Order: sequence, then C-alpha cells, then structure tokens
Amino acid sequence: MLKNILLILILTMTSSYAVQEKNIKSVMDAKIKQSIKIFKNKSLSQKQKNKKVIKIMDPIFSYATMAKISLGKRWKKLSSSEKKAFTKAFEHKIKYSYIDKLKLYNNQKVMTLNPQKVKKNRIKLTTKIIGNTETYKIVNSFYKKKGTNQWFIYDVQLAGVSIIQTYRKQFKAFLKTKSFDALLKTL
Amino acid sequence: MRTSFYIIFTLLLMQGCSTKVNTLPPEQKKQTPQQYTAEKIDNTDEDFEDEFSSSNSDEIIDPLGTYNRAMTTFNDTVFTYALNPLSKGYAAITPEPIRQGVSNFIHNILFPIRFTNNILQGKFQNSSDELERFIVNSTVGIAGLFDPASTYMHIPAHNEDFGQTLGHYGVGAGFHIVLPFLGPSNLRDGLGLLADGYLSPLVYQQGLEKYKIPNDYVQTFAMRGFEIVNKNSLHLGAYESLKKDAIDLYPFLRDFYEQKRITDIEE
Repeated sequence: MLKNILLILILTMTSSYAVQEKNIKSVMDAKIKQSIKIFKNKSLSQKQKNKKVIKIMDPIFSYATMAKISLGKRWKKLSSSEKKAFTKAFEHKIKYSYIDKLKLYNNQKVMTLNPQKVKKNRIKLTTKIIGNTETYKIVNSFYKKKGTNQWFIYDVQLAGVSIIQTYRKQFKAFLKTKSFDALLKTL
Repeated sequence: MRTSFYIIFTLLLMQGCSTKVNTLPPEQKKQTPQQYTAEKIDNTDEDFEDEFSSSNSDEIIDPLGTYNRAMTTFNDTVFTYALNPLSKGYAAITPEPIRQGVSNFIHNILFPIRFTNNILQGKFQNSSDELERFIVNSTVGIAGLFDPASTYMHIPAHNEDFGQTLGHYGVGAGFHIVLPFLGPSNLRDGLGLLADGYLSPLVYQQGLEKYKIPNDYVQTFAMRGFEIVNKNSLHLGAYESLKKDAIDLYPFLRDFYEQKRITDIEE
C-alpha cells in the first residue's frame, strides 16, 4: 500500500515537468515499472494502455530535439512551418514506435543501473531486461537543457542500436533522391 | 486512508507552486513561446552534430546492393507468409516451457562456439563463465533443457562468434551480404559463420561425423529450420515492431545489423 502511494507520488510530482539530475534513476525506474504494470492490466484496451504510457513518458522526452538531430544539417534550411510539421510527424512516429516495443515486454526482470555522466550536460542511463538466454540493454541518453536544471531524453539505444542514428541515416538517404514534402508524407 | 489522501493532495499543491518558480527561464520575458523553443534548441546544435556524425563516408560501399535488396524482399516474404504463420501455429499448440526448453537445449549445445571464440579473443573470465554455465546446465539443467546457471546462479552468458573474433582483431566487415533465410550479414561475418560451422554440433561436416548430430546437409537444414521456427515463436511480434522504424527496409536492416555488430564486437 505504502509502496503504491510512493509510486503515485513520484509519478504525479514528475508528470508535469522534466527530471532533475539527482532523480533521473528513480524517476525512470518508477516510470518503467508503472508502464509495465499498465501493459499487464487486462481490463484496459490497447488504446487506453498506449495513451496512459505515452502520458507517463511524454514529459521526459524532447521530441523537438530528436526531430532536429534526425535531420542533421538539413534542419537549418527548413522554414519554421516546415519545422513544426516535421516535429509533429516525427513525434507521432517515435511515440508509437516506442510503445510498440514496450508491448513486447514479457515478464522479464528489469534492472536500472546507476546513471553515467559522460559530459557536463550528458547522462546515459542503462536499463537491463534480463531474459533467459539474452540480456537486452536499453540506454536512455539525457541532455540538460541550457539555463535550466532539467534533463530530457534525446536518444534511446536498443540492444546497442541508436534510434536517432537510424532515423538520421534513413532520412539522409531518403532526402538525397526525394523531396522534403515526400518525407513528410511518408511519416 | 482519508488522512493520507489529504497529505498527498497538499504535497501536490505545494509541489505545483515550486515548479513555477524553478522553471521560469529569463529569456521567456523577451520572446514569444515559439521563438523561445526554436532558439533554445539551436544553442546546443554543435554538441549534437558532433555526437551523431558518423565516421562512415556518405557513400557506403555496397557492390551487392541490387542482389541484397531482392534477397531482403524474398526473406521478408518468406517470413510473413511462411515462417511467422508457422511459428504462431506452433506456439498455439506447444506450451511455452517446452519451447523455452528447446531454445535452452540448442543454446547450451552451441557451447563450443562461444567457448572457443571467447578464448581466441583473450576473454578468459568470460570463457570460464561459459564453461561453468555449460557444466551446470548440462547436469543440473538436464542436458541443457533448463537454465539454472542463469536462474539460480546468475552466471551471465557471453555470446561470441568467429565474426566477432575477426572484428576484435581489426578485420573490417567487408561488403554487406543478405543471406537467404538467415538475413543480413557481411563478408567477414559470413566467413565467421562458415568457421563456426566446424565447431557447431548442429552442422554436418564430412570427416567430423562423430561429433555432429545431423547425418547430412538435409538434416542440418531441417534442424536449423526448426530452430528458427522455435526461436521466432518465443519472440512473436519483434520483427514487425522493428520494421515500423523503417522507411526503406533494406538500408534500414543493413544499417541496424552493422550498428549492432559494432556494439557486439566492442563488448
């Protein structure tokens, strides 16, 4: 009972803004455990589950930053309305791709390690999903927004493969032969 | 119960107040919200560009590109219309513990590959872990059907293969090749697979019949096919989920594979 109260407390406190450095591990751990609980809840429909998990993860993801990184140098050449449209489309794609992968979780043991500060404003947080013959590593990369104390996720690595890097390469190859509008349509 | 509710409620209210104070950045007074967001992001521009610019050149050397694309489509079709339905049917009639047992048995019996490659890479602690796992699982784990080495003793597995060994010593990946049924590979890893075939008790080799389970190549393929169906049945939905991130399937799978191999070799 007390554990549940504590969990709700942490989540509600953090659901309205991003996370501070000292709380990164506990907040992520709580969010992951809560997401898992939601997926296991048989009384909710898939749509309801997705909505709830997105609400939990939203505050700590910086979709705008992810969209910008994924386009690389091309970003600067876009008009502001193009930037907005792209960020929106990209955000939607990332959200549902991430949720889709969380669905595959199958009761394995989850262990969050201590955060690694790789630079003054970069932290990597590793979560291990311990299966029977394989252990999957998920690395969430956090950056600190300039002028604030808040940390947001800008990249997720699944089993050693960076999601943003993957999109970056794909977009680069796509934009070589096709227009930006075509890319928007595809997303 | 009521008291705790009110305590939580008050705490939340107070928390709301402190948030407003902490998060009001100085620039917001001067600019509109939209401009503020865009400018904040652009300040950290160079940091991110450096981090993500790849060491690979823009032009990836892909001499087998056309063939690879065709083979990717072929494999994808085989997966969607043959392998996946088969795995789903198999999963429906075979209880999960049995399928997990099959997976454990196969993983255990491939010990010679992991052990040898760990030794070749000088990873002695890892090879002794693998030896321990093999002994425990083959005995207490009843011929590898169970995995007490993981469940009770928490000895980690160390998946190494000859492709990783070559990579460890600096051998470059070479050009990308998509193998029929087996999926993405490259020149180095393809040779690695051939080499590991000699060590694997599940691949027939002339002259080594005594150590091999299959009696000919046909049996080898049949066993490998079963292994793949079984493995897929334990990971239903994974491939489809992965595909969702792809705009163009072949380059996506190729880059994903190569990125993963780089990470595997590094550890």
